[in-house]
Amino acid sequence: MTETERIAIAAQLHVALRSKTGRVTDTEWMAVNVAYAAEIVRFTRAHAAETHDLDLHAMASRLEFAMEPLAAAQLARADRTRPAPAPELATKDGPRYVGGLR
Amino acid sequence: MQSKLFPMALQRFGTAVLLLAAGSGLSTRVGAAVPSAPGLVPQAAINAADTAWLLMATALVLLMTLPGIALFYAGMVRRKNVLSVMAAVVGTAAVVSIVWFTLGYSLAFTPGSRWLGGSERFWFAGFDYLHQTGQVAVSHVAPNVPEAVYAMFQLGFAIITAALVVGAFVERMRFSAVLWFAGLWSLVVYAPIAHWVWEPGGWLSGLGALDFAGGSVVHVNAGIAGLVCAYSLGKRRGYGREPFEPYSLAFTMAGAGLLWIGWFGFNAGSAIAADGRAGLAMLVTHIAAAAGALSWMAGEWASRRSPSLLGLCSGVLAGLVAITPAAGYVTPPAALAIGAIAGLACYWGATTLKRWLKADDSLDVFGVHGIGGIVGSLLTGVFADARISGQSGSVLTQALAVGAVALYSAIATGLVLLVVHILVGLRVKDETELLGLDLAVHHERLG
Repeated sequence: MTETERIAIAAQLHVALRSKTGRVTDTEWMAVNVAYAAEIVRFTRAHAAETHDLDLHAMASRLEFAMEPLAAAQLARADRTRPAPAPELATKDGPRYVGGLR
Repeated sequence: MQSKLFPMALQRFGTAVLLLAAGSGLSTRVGAAVPSAPGLVPQAAINAADTAWLLMATALVLLMTLPGIALFYAGMVRRKNVLSVMAAVVGTAAVVSIVWFTLGYSLAFTPGSRWLGGSERFWFAGFDYLHQTGQVAVSHVAPNVPEAVYAMFQLGFAIITAALVVGAFVERMRFSAVLWFAGLWSLVVYAPIAHWVWEPGGWLSGLGALDFAGGSVVHVNAGIAGLVCAYSLGKRRGYGREPFEPYSLAFTMAGAGLLWIGWFGFNAGSAIAADGRAGLAMLVTHIAAAAGALSWMAGEWASRRSPSLLGLCSGVLAGLVAITPAAGYVTPPAALAIGAIAGLACYWGATTLKRWLKADDSLDVFGVHGIGGIVGSLLTGVFADARISGQSGSVLTQALAVGAVALYSAIATGLVLLVVHILVGLRVKDETELLGLDLAVHHERLG
C-alpha cells in the first residue's frame, strides 16, 4: 500500500473522529507513524464499541491493515540494528571472572 | 623510611637551630642538637623547600586513596556494589583520620618504648605554632618540617593502608563493621608496626630493617590483614561458581593512574626533604611501575594468550608496591629488576597462589600488596646501595622484619575482627548480599 493510500484512509478516519468524537487528529502523521496510528486505532475501537458504531470500527480496521507493512518493516529494521549479545568472556582456563578477577 | 634519614635531617636541623637559637635567645632546644623527642624549635629553623615539598606530597598521598583506591576497587566489583565500595573507602578515610588525631599518631611516632609510642601527642597535643615566641613544633623524626605537616603526611599512609584492606572484604561486610574495623585496626595493628619500623626507637628500626616508604608497614601489613579478613568473612555467595563481572575496568584504570601519580608523593615524599634522594626515589618509582606493568603483561600474554587492561594496571601496582621499601636505597637499574620480578610474582600471587589459598580475597589484596610487599622488602636487602643512603641491606634482616610484621598483623587483625564481630557482626544478611549493598545498605544506586 502506498503512502497516498494510507493518507486517504487516515483522512477519512480524521473526519469521522472529528464529527463523532470531537477529537482532532494529525492525518499525515497517522499515515507514517506506526505508534501514533496504533493509538488512534485503539481509541477509535474503544469509541466504536461504546457507541456500537460499525462504520467507525471498520475504519479502524482499514487503517490497521494499511499500516501493517510499515509496522513489519520497522520491526525488521529494529532487529537489524539491535546489538548482538555480547560473547561470553572466557580464557583458556575457563570462563572469565569465576573464582578470581585476574 | 624516615628514621633512616635521621642523620641527614638532624644535620640540617642542628645547624639551623644552633645558628638561630644563638641569636634569638631561645634556649629550649639549643643544647639538644640531637632531639630524641618532639618539641619546639624556632620557626626559622624550618626548611621552607622541604616543607613545601612535603605539603605537596601529602596531597598526592591522599589522592591515592580519594579517589585513587576508591575508583580502582569500585571498578572491579559488580554493578550492584560499586557505591558501597566507594562508601567503605570514604568512611575508612574519615574514621582513620580521627583515630590518628586522637591516639594513632602519638602511638606511632613518639619515643615511648621499642614496641609502642607514648601518649604525649594524643589529640595532637603540643602541635604548637607560637607567634609571640616564634616557635613551632617539630617531630624528632622529621625535624626540618613542622610537625603538623609531618603528622598529616603520615596520616595519608595510615588512611591508605586501612583502605587497601577494604579490597579483601568487598560486597559482603556490614558497613558498621567496616567503620569499626578501620578504627580499631588502624590503632591496634597499623600504629604499633609503624612505630617498630619508622620511629628511631622502634625495635625493627634498631635492627637496621630498611623500609623507605612502607613495603612492610603498609603493603605486607595490608596484604596479610586482607587475607585474614577474607578467611574470617568467608566467600561471597556464588563465588567460584558464577562470574563476578567487574562493573567498569575504565574506573579501575583511572584509579590505577591516580595511584601511579600519587605514589610519587608516597615514595619521594618519604625522603622528607626536597633533595636529590627524593628525586631518585621518584625516578625509581616510575621505572619500577613501568617494569611491573610489562612483566605482568608478558606473563599473562604468555600463559593466557591475552594481555588484559586489568593485568597492565595490576602490574603497575605490583611494581609500585615492590619499589616502596626500596625507593630511597636503590639505583634505577635495580628498580627495573625489582619492578619486573614483582610483576611476575604478583601475577602468580593473584592467580595460582590465590587458588591454592582458597580464600575469597576479592580484589587480590594479598596477591598484589602482600606478595609485592614481601618481594620488594626482600629485594631491598639485595639491591640497597650504600652509596645512596650510607646503608647496605641485609636479606636476613629484611626477612625478619617481614616475618614479624606479617605475624603480628595476622594475629592482631584476627583479634580486631573478633571484637568487631562481637560488637556489630561482620557479614551482611544473604538477602542484602543478593540485592547488592548499594541498594540494601545505602539506599542508593548508580544512575
